[in-house]
Formats: sequence, C-alpha cells, structure tokens
Amino acid sequence: MALFPVADARRGNAAVLASGLAPLAACLLAVPLLFGDFFAYELSLYLMYGIVAQGIALTWGRAGFLSLGQALFFGLGAYLAAFALKSQAGPAVQALLLLAAVLAPTALAYVIGVLVFMRRYESGPYFSLITLALVMFGYQLANQWSSVTGGFNGVGNIPVLFGLDRYTHHYYLVAAVCLASTALVAWLMRTPLGTLWAATAQNENRLQFFGFDTYRLKAVAWAVSAFLGALAGVLFASQQGLVTPQSSSVILSAELVIWTAVGGRAGPYGALLGAVAIGLLSTELREQFAYWEAIVAVVFIVVVLRFPEGVGGALMRLWRYSCKGFVRGAAKRAAYVPAVGGFGAAPQASFRRDGGGFALSISDVHVKQGPVRILNGLSLQAGRRGLHCLIGPNGAGKTSTFNMLTGRLPLARGSVRFNGRDVGGFGAPAMARLGVGRKFQIPSVFPELSVRDNLCIALWANRARGRALLGNSVRGWNTPTLEFMHRSFPFFAQTMDEPAGALSQGQRQMLEFAMTALAEPLLFLLDEPCAGLSVDETRHLGSVIAETVGRLDACALIVEHDMAAVEALADHVYVLHQGRLLAQGDYAQVRRNAEVQAVYAGGSK
Amino acid sequence: MNATTPWLLQFSGLEGGYGDTVVLRGIDGGVRAGQVLGVLGRNGVGKTTLMRLLTGGLQPFSGEVAWQGKALGQLAPFRRSRLGLAYSPQEGVVFDELSVSDNLLLHLESRDMSRYGPYLDAFPRLRERLRQRAGTLSGGEKKLLAFVRVLAEGKPLSLLDEPTEGVQQENIDLMAQFVRRRAEQGAAFIVVEQNLGFLQRIMDTLLVLDHGQCVAQGEAGEFDRDRLAGFLHI
Amino acid sequence: MDAALTVTLLNFAYQGLVLALVVLGLGIVFGMLGVMNMAHGEFLMIGAYCAVAAQNAGLSVLWGAALAVPVCGVLGCLTHYVLIRRLYNRPFDTLLATWGLSILLRKLVELVYGRGYQNVEPPVSGGISVFGVEYPGYRLFLIAAIVVLFAVLVLWYWRSSTGARLRAMIGNPTLAQAVGIDTNRLACAAFMCGVISAGVAGALLAPMVRVAPGMGLDYLLNSFFVLVVGGLGSLAGLAAGTGIVSGTQLLFATLFDQTSGYLAVLGVSIIFLWLKPDGLISRR
Repeated sequence: MALFPVADARRGNAAVLASGLAPLAACLLAVPLLFGDFFAYELSLYLMYGIVAQGIALTWGRAGFLSLGQALFFGLGAYLAAFALKSQAGPAVQALLLLAAVLAPTALAYVIGVLVFMRRYESGPYFSLITLALVMFGYQLANQWSSVTGGFNGVGNIPVLFGLDRYTHHYYLVAAVCLASTALVAWLMRTPLGTLWAATAQNENRLQFFGFDTYRLKAVAWAVSAFLGALAGVLFASQQGLVTPQSSSVILSAELVIWTAVGGRAGPYGALLGAVAIGLLSTELREQFAYWEAIVAVVFIVVVLRFPEGVGGALMRLWRYSCKGFVRGAAKRAAYVPAVGGFGAAPQASFRRDGGGFALSISDVHVKQGPVRILNGLSLQAGRRGLHCLIGPNGAGKTSTFNMLTGRLPLARGSVRFNGRDVGGFGAPAMARLGVGRKFQIPSVFPELSVRDNLCIALWANRARGRALLGNSVRGWNTPTLEFMHRSFPFFAQTMDEPAGALSQGQRQMLEFAMTALAEPLLFLLDEPCAGLSVDETRHLGSVIAETVGRLDACALIVEHDMAAVEALADHVYVLHQGRLLAQGDYAQVRRNAEVQAVYAGGSK
Repeated sequence: MNATTPWLLQFSGLEGGYGDTVVLRGIDGGVRAGQVLGVLGRNGVGKTTLMRLLTGGLQPFSGEVAWQGKALGQLAPFRRSRLGLAYSPQEGVVFDELSVSDNLLLHLESRDMSRYGPYLDAFPRLRERLRQRAGTLSGGEKKLLAFVRVLAEGKPLSLLDEPTEGVQQENIDLMAQFVRRRAEQGAAFIVVEQNLGFLQRIMDTLLVLDHGQCVAQGEAGEFDRDRLAGFLHI
Repeated sequence: MDAALTVTLLNFAYQGLVLALVVLGLGIVFGMLGVMNMAHGEFLMIGAYCAVAAQNAGLSVLWGAALAVPVCGVLGCLTHYVLIRRLYNRPFDTLLATWGLSILLRKLVELVYGRGYQNVEPPVSGGISVFGVEYPGYRLFLIAAIVVLFAVLVLWYWRSSTGARLRAMIGNPTLAQAVGIDTNRLACAAFMCGVISAGVAGALLAPMVRVAPGMGLDYLLNSFFVLVVGGLGSLAGLAAGTGIVSGTQLLFATLFDQTSGYLAVLGVSIIFLWLKPDGLISRR
C-alpha cells in the first residue's frame, strides 16, 4: 500500500504546472499586442524584479528564512554580465562568461549559506541581519571600487544580449525567462525537496532527527534563489544597458521583500504579481500621488500583522473557495488509493543492522547548564532488545539524557558509545543516521504538511539522497513497517490529505510514533509517548509500541510516569534521580527498593 | 469555619491545556477562607497546569474560575494578584537578578522589612543573605524565599506550587507551622505537594489528580498515609 | 601631552559616546525587551527634525531635544499599542512590521520637509581651549551631556524601584505578574523610553550631521552591530560593543580611509553575527 501512487503523482504535477503556466504565457504574450511595445519594455523591468522575488518566495515562503539582501546577487549578476557583454571576446567565450555571471553568485550563496546555517540551526532574524550587512558590503564595494565597477556612475554602454532589439524583441526574451523561472520554482515546490523545505520551515528540529542535514537544504534553497537573482541581473544589464550600485542596494532589497510579501510568498505567481503590480504602480503613481509609498508601507504592515499569505494568497483562497466544486473533485481524484502489491520498495536504511549486539553505553556523563548540574555522573548500559523504561521524579534528568544523547545538550565530561563507536557530542542528524530515533513528549510533527507528506518524510529518512529528492518515485515507497502502521492506526486512511496539525492530540502522538518507527531505528528514544492520551489510547499505543520494537528487533528507552504502563511494558527499568542512576532492574525489584520508594514518596530527599 | 462559609475561590468543569493538547479534564473544586486545599498527584498529571489556570497564566478551554462568587474570566495574572491571590510558581520562583531583600520588597509600596521579622527569625539563613543576589541561593533556599514572600503578602488566598522541594526537614516543619497559623487567622491556601508528611500536616481538604482527571476528593480525615502513598504509586 | 594625541583621544571619546547615545534606545528596546525595532533610525531622524523645527521657530537646538520627548513619547506609545504588543512572540514579524513602519515614517517626513538636506546650527559654535588644544565647543558639550545622562541612567536603573521592577520583569515575566506588576504597561513604558532616547539623540546630534529623511538606516545598522558585538541586555555589553565598533572604525579610517573604516565595521559585525551572535557579554 504505497502512500502515493506514483503515476497519479506525475499526472497531478504536470496538470497543475500546465494549468498555471498556460494563462501566464498567454498574458505575457498579449501585453505588447494590447498595450504596445513601450509598455512591454517598461513591464519587462518588473518581470525581471519578479524573477528575483520568486527566489525570495522560495526561501521565505517555503523554506522559512528571509534574505534581506537579495539584491546582492541581482547586482552581482548584472555587473558580471556587463563585463561579459562588453568584453571583446568571441561568442563562445562570452557565453561562458555569461554562464559564470549566473553561477558565481549561486556558488557564493551556497557557500555562505552552509557557513551560516551550520552554526545555528534556527534561522531567523540573525540570518536576515547578516544578509543585510552583506548587501551593504556589496553596495559599498560597487560604489568605491571605481576602477572596476565605475563607481557611482556604474558601467554603461552595455550591448544587448544576442543582438536583440532592446525596445521590442528583448521583451520576449525576458518573458520567456520569466515563464521558465516560474516553472522552475513551481516544479521545485512540488518535488520531495520542496516538501523537505516546507518541513524545515515548520519544524526544523524534527527534521534533523530524521537524519537530514537541514543546513544543506537551506543553503540549496538560497543558492537557487541566488541563481534566479543573478539570472534576472544578467537580463537587467542587457535590457537597461547600464548597471549602477543601485542594483545592489539595501533599498532595492527592501522593495523586493515588500513586493513579495504583499503579492504573496506562498508561490511564484504571488511574488510575480507583487513585483509587477506594486512595482509598476509605484513607478506610475510615485510622482503623481505623493502618499502612494506611505500607503504601500501601511499595506505591508497590515499584511505582516494579519495576512501573511499576501494579496495573492488571499485571492487564491477566494478563488479556491468560489470553485469549491471543482476543487473537491480534483482532490478526490488525487486522493489516496491503496495500490495493490505496492510500488517501489524502499531501499534499506543506510546504517548497519547486523545481527550482533549493539550497545548504548553511557559512562560518567556530566552535563551542566550554568551552575545547575543536569546530569551528575550518569552511567547506564542498555544493550538488550526490548523495552526499557526510564523513570524518576521531576528534574531527575530523563529528557536531559535524551537531549545529551542527540547533541542537544553539550557533554561536559564522560563518554557515550553506541553500536561500537564513540558518539559523544554527535549532533541530531548524525545520531539519526547511526540508527537512533527519537519521539518527543509533545507530539512533534510537521503541522501544515499532510499526514501523507509526514509519513513520506519519515520514509525518506536515511534512504533518500540527492537526485532522488527531485523525482516523485520516492513518494511511492512502501515498507512492511508502513503496512503495519496502517493496520495499527486505521485513522491514517481517512486523514491522509489533512494537515497533521488538525489531528487530535492522540492521533498526533500516534502519527509521530509511526514516523519514528518508519525510519526503522536500532534505538528508540521515546519521551512519554502516551502523554495526554486517554486510558484506552494509552493501552493501544503501548501495545503498538511493544509490537513494533519487537518486529524491528530494536531497543527502546521509554521515559514514563504512568506506572501501570511501566509495569505492563517494561522488561527492564532504570530509575534516575538528581542526574544519576539510582537503581535498575525489573519492575518488581525496583518497586521493592527502599531508596526508590523514599524518592517517590517525597520523604527524605 | 464550617461548610456554610462561602467559597473564596471556586472552579468548576475546568478543562485546559497547551495548544490543542488537553491536559486537564473536568476538574471541580474550591477553597474557603481559613482552609487549606492540598493537590496531590504524580508528575505530569496536570497539577501545575491547574495552578496556571487558577492564576490566569493560562486560559481554560472550558469551565470557570470564580473569586468570591464572581467569574474571573480572562482577568490578567497581575490583576488577580491585586484582587487577593498570591502565587509562588513551581519553577522560576525568585528574581535571580535581584537581591534577596529586593525580592522581598519589590512589590510593596513601603520598603519596610518589619513585616518579615518573624519569618527571618525562623529562617536565619535568609537574613544572612539579604544583600546577596537571589540567583546564587540554593534551590531549597530559593523555595524558602518564595514561601516567605508569599506568606508575608498576607493575601486572602495563597497558591503554592511544590513549596518544599529541596528544603531541609527542619525548615519544612517550620513552614507547616506558619501555614497553619495563617490559616487559623483566616487565610486560605491551595498547595500542590508531593511531600506527604508536609501535606498531611497542613491540609484540610484534598484533591487528587491522575491522567488530568480528579480521582479522589474529600476531607483530610478520609486519607491516611498509606492511601496517600498509593496515589503516588510506587 | 602631545597635541595630536589629545585630539585623537578626544575624537575617540566623542565618537564612542555619540555612538553609545545612539545605540542606547535600541539597547533598551532590543537588548531588554527583545524587540527588533527596525524603525530605531527613523525615531532618531524624527528627533533631528524636531531640532530643525525648533530652529525654524527661532529657538535653540536644545529646545528641539525637549520637543523630541513628547513627540517620540506619543509615537512610541502608539507603536507599542498597535504593533509591538501583538508581536512579542513573533520576532520575525516584529522585524518586518517595524521595517514597514520605518518606511512609513520616512515617507511622512519627506512629505512635510522634502527629501533634501537640512542644516542645523549648533548652539555653541567655535572652539574651546581644553587640555592645551582647541576643540569644537559643541562636541565638548555633547561629551559632557552624554556622560551625565548615562550616569543618571545607570543610577536610576540600579537603584530605583522602577528600575528593579524592570529588571525583574525582564528576568522573569511570569513571576513579575504573580507579584502584581503590570508587565504590559511596564514594557510599554520601557519601549517609550527607548524611542524617546533615540529621538533625543537625534536632536542633540542634528547640528553635527546632515539631516535628511533617509539618515536613519546607517544609525540603525550601526546600533544593531554594536549590540550584536557587545551583547544584549546589559550596559557593560553596550560599552564593549561601542568600544569595539568605534575603535575599529577609527583605526581603519585613520590607517586607510573612511570607506575602509565602514567596511571594517561591516566585516567585524558579519563575523560576530556568524560566530558569536550573543555578543561578548551576554545575559541571555
């Protein structure tokens, strides 16, 4: 029972892409016919800005980080194209130079992106400030390095690309590139990579626990946006014939962000609409209507406060609402159809799963946060298959142990070995790739992605790499564990296309467990998996956990408070207290232990 | 004080949680002037959530909290404090950045230490550390400081979330004495506790939570030590 | 002491103190309340235009500083009520919304005063002899005024009860509410102080810089860089950041040229944003 019948996926994608691009192409072609060549020439400037805005929509609307300095790549592409076009070299060399004009900013964005995102896994305002500082740096360079860039006056007399007529035929070139960029962005957003970008924006922490290097995902997104920016810059140099430092300025970057925000950052069409509508209107109205820019600023503030999807997004919602009938049908056609026999079987997970023992060995681990000793000489061996429960009063260090194991808390002292190697200080993606899966106490899924997409991402953990993420075949993967999850949680079938955030608390707990299990880890770290569940749900999930761990021949460490559950599930119990191991044994032994009793009755502490 | 004394704080049908996670379901209860209500339960059953709902830090999904018969609705925590509800949370119990004496005087109009006399006599360690930054105190000393602050506020109702955590036994005995004395003077308390000895000494009524629901409720006399330990389940 | 050295030291003191004054407002709003106020430079600009207005009315520039207090106070209160209050848990959206506000403020000032530069005369012109050198009188006045201002501020923050409440609220907002402190009103007051401080800085600096609607951006970025380098939430961080940024700028400007100084500051800031975004002295 594959999650997504691949043939349907391909058909769906093509249809959706065509349904958007065809009207766009028609509109673009109609412009010179309806409004004349001069208007088309003016419009083409905003189409170019629109291409840059689409790059911003990709990184901001999809991947969840905002570059306030996107004009840097635009300006860089423009200047490099100016040099290329003005050089007296032959056409082949010129072509190479133009290619470099587009690829150099792309590479620059990737390198800087990797460097910046690797340091902190939460993007956010600091990244935006860095991009702001970078574009200022670029602007200053362009302004001052007169010998190369012509300083304040810039580089002029740039010949047109391919010798086209600047005021008539060049428009069609720009329109064609605009169509291509829209297609590229729209296509990318529908690939598994696009889904992963959305997941990064919604819950980057969780995505790391599936073994994905989120910093690389974000750097790739930024590189694509830089590619689009530079491409637009090349066209700009060709069309305007003049490149000045204004092309790499903070002001242009800010305007691009505003156009994208107001137009709609959810997709390429909104961004294009924003750049064209607001940009063009601004040029027309700026002189006549003195208050225009103030009004745009107010609209932008309102969009930020109330309508994050922008005008374009609001229009889309209206359109979808009004043709609900069509949409219902389409959704039905694309809905989940259990395919017989399954499609491509997923490849094996990348970590070794040998029959011999694996062992988790924590030795004398100390973790401090300021003056507080969170873990105080914790030593714990867990190697047997089966379920082990971790219990202890508040503040004993149970969740902190999980955090320490997965790189969320730094190790001050001590060592950790897993599966024969030293893993002290390894980060979450690395541990996931070694076969450690974690489930969080508060169900942590990707709330705005469908249940289907959530399960897909879990399946891709440790299996899908590189090029595979650009094709849809990975959506058709199937594993025995997936089939078992479908049987254990029948509600999946009804809620496949609903956003995971709309599920009830209990359903989300089960979904998150299913996702953890789909990655088929060697070691499960489950943090209160039944928290917030009713008694019946607890019983059901408990039995599913037990059976899953048994089927996968894995070891599970479960933090639990519910003693009934511990008694029912655990083969072995560890009691933590004040950051170290107090006692261990099977449930009966631990229950009889006087020290453990004292700790729980709150007597002498 | 008897059963006809009006309710000071009453909650009915209380249901609340975080995001759309329901932690507490259908909790009823209340406390009258001069009474001490104990709240017992293991970790993660919703005790702190209940305190947050009562003090206004969290809005309930359904149900009502009423003060002297009037529903509190969405009244902000600081306004509830001014109404007469003193509160010491489970975590972040003191202002680490401020000195001990500032912690005690911050919220008072007059910077008058005299009201703390009896408390500082009982806990001389606090008196020694008046000038020190509160963040340098040990966990138990911080709890003691918070306890003193709340009791000295002298408000009609005081809510204490795990006040004895990390505190030494001798001091716990003194704390129990102070609570009983204030209750005799007419103050009400709601105390979340896992220290059974302390709880038994101070409580008049008890509310036991498990899995976010009330599993037992009643007068102190109905609960002996074994029954209480059973609720903590190990 | 060597005259050139004296002048250099006085320049360093002047530039550093002026930078500290400029950053103070953002230090309160961003460093303490955690609000990334991208309109900080524009509030400074409005203060500068208050000085212009005072001059146009025939009054001395210092009246401009007095005017900046109510003007920026009202603007700050409005901004907090309409924007900031709703966005405390959304730092990203705060950045964007205040960015939009900065554009709005800039356009409004443009409409009233036009885009061109305005010139403001200092109340004290000419040089004064000090430490054996001639130094511009207004600069000396500013140095003295800023030192006094900071001294008063430090005393107030650490000794007054309102200062204590502010420190309490920043460290533990839940507990602050529990003891009866109206955190929303206190935060609004703190925000207003930050904005007023920016306005007063702008008014005092107006005679020394070119006043134009677009002048805010540079001050904004420099302020962020100082806070990122020095660390948020403490005066010590402010001092450290100011020293480093000011010193770097002066060093490179003296060795090479103005632009190099500017680029060097950008470079240092990028490195800190990348490697040590909590700054040197972080309280968070």
